[in-house]
Amino acid sequence: MDYIDPHIHMVSRTTDDYETLARMGCVAMSEPAFWAGFDRGSVESFRDYFRQLTQFEPKRAAQFGIQHYTWLCINAKEAENVSLSREIIAMIPEFLSESNVLGIGEIGLNKNTKNESTIFLEHVDLAVRYGQQILIHTPHLEDKFQGTKMILDMLVSDSRVDRSRVLVDHVEEHTIQEVLDRGFWAGMTLYPVTKCTPARAADMIEKYGTERLMANSAGDWGPSKPTAIPDLIMELKRRGHSRDLIRRVVYENPCKFFSQSKNFKALPASS
Amino acid sequence: MMSNDPKPAARDAQKILTEEFFIARSKILDLAATLDRLDRANGSVDQLQQRKLLQQGMEILLDDQPDKAKRVQLLMSRPYDPDWRKNYGLH
Ligand SMILES: [Zn+2]
Repeated sequence: MDYIDPHIHMVSRTTDDYETLARMGCVAMSEPAFWAGFDRGSVESFRDYFRQLTQFEPKRAAQFGIQHYTWLCINAKEAENVSLSREIIAMIPEFLSESNVLGIGEIGLNKNTKNESTIFLEHVDLAVRYGQQILIHTPHLEDKFQGTKMILDMLVSDSRVDRSRVLVDHVEEHTIQEVLDRGFWAGMTLYPVTKCTPARAADMIEKYGTERLMANSAGDWGPSKPTAIPDLIMELKRRGHSRDLIRRVVYENPCKFFSQSKNFKALPASS
Repeated sequence: MMSNDPKPAARDAQKILTEEFFIARSKILDLAATLDRLDRANGSVDQLQQRKLLQQGMEILLDDQPDKAKRVQLLMSRPYDPDWRKNYGLH
């Protein structure tokens, strides 16, 4: 079954992974800017990273017939450095006209600090001023509940934010309902140990339905599984759910959400 | 805001139990073995917060209330303070 992975960090993956994903049915993906595993020292380092995301990765993906999209920002972890963050936010508009940019992301919180919140608000302002969609990272483990609520507070208090153009990622059992109830899109991340298993993601689909809900692998340089979406497809099939329902979650919903960005191109008819 | 997409039809409980019995059995055994390992080890962890959280988590599994996964998640979460913006001086 054709599918879209709305959150995967391909700069950390090999070309063999692109080939495997293509074989498994991945036809498009979106790659939010994130943390490299170490803190980068200068705005130039981010400029090169954004060139990689907007110029190099789409070509690598295209070799396997996969459309590659991206989101730009300084991630929450490095946002602790406020002055560097501001230099990067000022530089991002240079890249917003690149043809695979869908918006600003993944912005959010990590340890839910004041500096992270300050930079989050400045990213939201950037997105609004440039008419960009937003992709949100919510924190891990014990910080997730608090951080998700703080993020929703900040988004809701800015009346310029169009909630139907914001995707809140890494939702779990204790955060999904508020995200959906407030009119945002929600993404479930299938990630070993620290996030959500395919079975628990299937449970959330059964409980909340498919509207504004998607799943992603968040495959990156750490323990993660880039082919996690096919695992979810298998789990839903095993439980006897219809092809239409599965397709809505893994294909139509990402298309619908991404289509709100002028850079998203129609995909070839899917199988 | 309620969902417009229809929710999938409810599944059959007995079928789920049959399919998942061995998976759940193995998870209970893993948990039992972790507790045994702690017992055999030197030192006591009974007063540590992490040990207490595990205890409280297991109690959620045994009570007669629904939404167990959500309640375990909330148990393992830092509390949210609605006044956080004021405390941070962010407006
Ligand atoms: Zn990510």
